[in-house]
Amino acid sequence: MTSSPLTEKPYAQDRPTSTPASVVVNGRYLPPPEDKDGKIWVRSSALIVGDPQSLYAMWRDVQSAPLWQEHVIEVAVSGPTTSRWSMKTSNDSDAKVISWDSEVLADEPGVRIAWRSIGGDSDNAGEVIFEAAPSGQGTIVTVLQEFRMGKLANAWETLVGRNPKQAVIENLRHFKALAEAGEIPRSQLDTHGDRGVIGNFKRSTYGETVPTPTGGN
Amino acid sequence: MKAVCWMGKSNMETRTVPDPELINPHDAIIKVTRTAICGSDLHLYDGFIPTMESGDIMGHEFMGLVEEVGPEVTNLKRGDRVVVPFTIACGSCIFCKKKYWAACDNTNPNAHLMEKAYGYSGAGLFGYSHMMGGYAGGQAQYVRVPFANVGPLKIESDLGDEKVLFLSDIFPTGYMAAENAQIQPGDTVAVWGCGPVGQFAIASAFMLGAARVIAIDRFQERLDLARSLGAITVDYSEEDVSVLTALKDLTGGVGPDSCIDAVGLEAHSNELQGIYDVVKTALFMETDRPSVLRQAIQAVRKGGTLSIPGVYGGLLDKVPFGAAFGKGITMKMGQTNMHNYMKPLLERVEKGQIDPSYIISHRITLDQAPEMYKIWRDKEERVTKIVIDPWA
Repeated sequence: MTSSPLTEKPYAQDRPTSTPASVVVNGRYLPPPEDKDGKIWVRSSALIVGDPQSLYAMWRDVQSAPLWQEHVIEVAVSGPTTSRWSMKTSNDSDAKVISWDSEVLADEPGVRIAWRSIGGDSDNAGEVIFEAAPSGQGTIVTVLQEFRMGKLANAWETLVGRNPKQAVIENLRHFKALAEAGEIPRSQLDTHGDRGVIGNFKRSTYGETVPTPTGGN
Repeated sequence: MKAVCWMGKSNMETRTVPDPELINPHDAIIKVTRTAICGSDLHLYDGFIPTMESGDIMGHEFMGLVEEVGPEVTNLKRGDRVVVPFTIACGSCIFCKKKYWAACDNTNPNAHLMEKAYGYSGAGLFGYSHMMGGYAGGQAQYVRVPFANVGPLKIESDLGDEKVLFLSDIFPTGYMAAENAQIQPGDTVAVWGCGPVGQFAIASAFMLGAARVIAIDRFQERLDLARSLGAITVDYSEEDVSVLTALKDLTGGVGPDSCIDAVGLEAHSNELQGIYDVVKTALFMETDRPSVLRQAIQAVRKGGTLSIPGVYGGLLDKVPFGAAFGKGITMKMGQTNMHNYMKPLLERVEKGQIDPSYIISHRITLDQAPEMYKIWRDKEERVTKIVIDPWA
């Protein structure tokens, strides 16, 4: 297991681990950190057909993140390890756009990427690790993301009905679908008859008002 | 175009809706030439499957002509004649590679809803609730088919639509039920429910070597069809008939080697447990009425196999798990891994080994569909299978 200090992550708590996103440390299962002090954590993992190196490369290509990350409309590379992220909080024409800068803290090709925000409208940090699956078939991709419940999280929760934890889980699901199948499944635009008042309301409870990223299509 | 829309419990309407359009690169638009009402559609009609919404287009058994394909569909072209499987599979994930197509990881856009209820999500399905993907179904003049490079089976021969339509669900589903029953040559197999899936399970059980098939139902038209396949029939609605006693009598007291529950969550029973389940589901204290499941667990012989193609949705009461454990039975179940069976079963149809159209009792138009849902649900007019011509 790769070794790295926890202090890479600005809000990380002391945990007996070497790689924060990892779920096994010294043979023991490590549960995800608990939410605390206005800080929320989410960890999600997916078994993805593909080798660690190519999945790493797809994730590291931050400019392509809008293809598979919900609400992210643009990522502009601003330096060797920095980028500027913009997110539109809903599909409405008057929706607010929030932006922040992000910095890559650790970058081990085919193994892991760690990042944090360095100013702007969002306080967040995260790590993704790529491990060959024990079966030898595919790669287990594990994401650990933390947020301050600041503007970003609030905007998400209040405006789009997808809390940030679920967004991380959905984004990993989109990433997997795009990597494996070459597209992200979409049904929101399917034809249908009259939804009526209740039907339209319930769409948000199904998460269907959050536009599924296009996967570039 | 015209489409059959779910507009609430016990309320279908044929409406004019926008035509489907290509959305993703592996999509195809199919002009539907024949579609059917599935017994499992009645669970939607009766409001047993959550997350149906007004305006949802019904239907997961359909075939037709390719109208248009997305840029990454390389195996189909406009004009091809195809049967489309009801489960949507990506062909690329771990589960598709293991041939568990119904467990595909990548085709349910609303997988998070399934995860909450079931732990994990299976494949997306056509026209079968938002939990199962929110895809528009095929009881319509046109339908969008995602991952058209993986699912649709091309029909190259001039076999009529009615002979191949049921490769979209019920024939493979009945066949997989028989396969899941782990039939050995000479076995006795009991099949609960002689609707379309039960019919194909009976036919398939014989194909797989069963020496005797016992078919259980209460409708003469279905029992007649079962006997036409060579099954021995038990009408559980007849006075003095106990299914468990009948199955013992017909197996020398041993019980059937395999039992197939082709009924599922809306089982009827003339025993006390039938009233119990009706009351509990009405009070939302139970989601399913598992009286066939209970009976099949009781009936199967020691070390036997229980195969469950009938749909279950939620939480079941009073399932005799002690009996299942005590006899050491095997249970196999689940949505059909369609893609494994369509081609081999098409070959059987082409060779004339079976003509699946024998179960059709009604041929209707889209406009007649809402009423036929009611007629079939209420078991009137001796319905065995309803096929729709969307252009009639």
